[in-house]
Amino acid sequence: MDRVSLEVRPGEVFGLLGPNGAGKTTLVRILSGVLRPDEGRALVAGLDVGREPYRVKALIGYATQEQSLYRDLSVEENLLFRARLHRPKEAKILAAEALARFGLAPYAKTLAGHLSGGWRQRLALAQAVVHRPQVLFLDEPTTGLDPLSRRGIWGLIHQEAARGAAVLVTTHYMDEAERCHRLALLFAGRVLAVGTPQELKALARERARFLFAPGFALEAATSLPGVLEAWPSGEGVRLIARKDFQMGVGFQEVEPSLEDVFALLTKEAL
Amino acid sequence: MSRILALAEKELLQIRRDHVLPRLIVLLPSLMLFLFGYAINFTLKNIPVAVHDAAQDRISKTLLWELTKEGTFRLALQAQSREEVVAALDRGRARVGLVVPAGALERVRRGESVGLEIYVDGTDPNFAFQAQAALRRVIQEVNARILVGRALAGERVLPPLSPEIHTLYNPENKTAWFMIPGILGLVLTAFTVLLTALAIVREAESRMMESLLASPLRPYEMVLGKVLPNLFIAFGVALLVLALGHFVFGVPVRGSLSLLLLAMFLFVLVAMFLFVLGSLAAGVLISTVARTQVQAVFGTYAYVLPTIVLSGFVFPIEGMPRLFQALSYLVPARYLIEVLRGVMLKGVGLQVVWPHLLALALFSALVLLLASARFQRQVAV
Repeated sequence: MDRVSLEVRPGEVFGLLGPNGAGKTTLVRILSGVLRPDEGRALVAGLDVGREPYRVKALIGYATQEQSLYRDLSVEENLLFRARLHRPKEAKILAAEALARFGLAPYAKTLAGHLSGGWRQRLALAQAVVHRPQVLFLDEPTTGLDPLSRRGIWGLIHQEAARGAAVLVTTHYMDEAERCHRLALLFAGRVLAVGTPQELKALARERARFLFAPGFALEAATSLPGVLEAWPSGEGVRLIARKDFQMGVGFQEVEPSLEDVFALLTKEAL
Repeated sequence: MSRILALAEKELLQIRRDHVLPRLIVLLPSLMLFLFGYAINFTLKNIPVAVHDAAQDRISKTLLWELTKEGTFRLALQAQSREEVVAALDRGRARVGLVVPAGALERVRRGESVGLEIYVDGTDPNFAFQAQAALRRVIQEVNARILVGRALAGERVLPPLSPEIHTLYNPENKTAWFMIPGILGLVLTAFTVLLTALAIVREAESRMMESLLASPLRPYEMVLGKVLPNLFIAFGVALLVLALGHFVFGVPVRGSLSLLLLAMFLFVLVAMFLFVLGSLAAGVLISTVARTQVQAVFGTYAYVLPTIVLSGFVFPIEGMPRLFQALSYLVPARYLIEVLRGVMLKGVGLQVVWPHLLALALFSALVLLLASARFQRQVAV
């Protein structure tokens, strides 16, 4: 990680967008006190993670990338265990509340190992927030889920933010990034840009043109002067080109997606 | 404290829910006890003897009667020649051969010595040693009877040296008595290692390590929460073995029971922490999650094997080369077995076994310290 500085506000869902190996998980591990940074410091809720790791750990909820739950314990037992680690006195109430909040009540007595993938992920998320943390780290919470389950999980993520938690969620799905209030684009350990999805797109539009060339061949498009990036798309070719690019006949200006923004910014970074 | 309890209760719940483990906890030690207690037997019994009795007189009759009367030896073959006796040993029909020369009684009457030829199967040195000792005992007995016979005939004769040997602690040389305290040490070692390994693998398999590290659980709470439930289980296992040894095999508990329990308790503590340390050293945390199962198995071997060899469980430490004698001090089971044998068989008390207890306690303290420090560093990585 190289000089990463981010600010996530209470009630905000902040997306950390980047390809595999960009450093998303490393960043989350440092912030949650699992890893110690080589140098520099990380502040969470105004506390230095390196100096007061346990005060930080008491405040945060962390859902790891790999589903961490005990398959041989029931849904309720899993929640109760995690609640007891944080707030032993209120553990029972917190666990019951999480069961209700995440729609897990019908499965309370089911062993976690017997749940389907989507419900297991729901449980993993519920465990991370069972103690109602102020700060929530979610590392790729929807990886491997079907679209319906993913929508469910995102609904729950926003529900946590609405409760007042500051949520940092990592993803490499561009469509999911659209659901975040704000985003940081992370590439090779550095932050390329920060802003709302709209701000990022506007930023990209200022720097380049995003085009669609119907019926065009990829080779022909790539060889045009001023083309930064070209890839086949449906019946034609999608292009990212410099601002001064001379549009050919039949080319259409299109609204950049977050994926386009990301492609442009990484191109510039290299 | 509440966090340790949360973790410990979770451990017990998982052990109870396991299909195999609870049964294994009861069956494995019992199996080990019965296997070692019954199958391994150094006590000599029913040794087959091939005899070529060329004398066929009162001397040879007395000798054969003395030889077989205690059940240590049994007559397997009446051979017609010395060659036949040796052939019986070759073929394994007998393990001891005896040739009594003709005219034994006449020689005794003339005050001469009778040359007995004895062959012992020396493939197993331990057997050979014990068989020779038993044979000497028998011959000594016969000698004494012969001399007494001459004394009754009016001569004033006494054997020049008449040994009176007292075998202490285990007068009947029962192997089980010697073995069971050792088995207790071994069962405890194997169990503590197995349970702790499983406890660590359980977290790794659940992918929980990272979540636990990000929770307010302190490293020492983690170590204690994992170890305490297994500590009590291992202690229960020890009690089971002790009870079986006492009631089934009749091993006496001559010394103080509470001293015995204290020793076992300290031992379990040491063994557990030693293994936790070993596992952590091997890198059980996040980075090596995928390798833990294999590590757990190899860790168990790496720990139990030296314990079997170096603890004095079967092989006498005094007979080892200097280096291994020194190494045996690093095996906590050694101290436990010394205490167990001392208290159970000799009935000695604290004033005798305290150095071993102290060693165990020092081990516990040292290893707990190392384990926590190791853990802290792992967390920091």
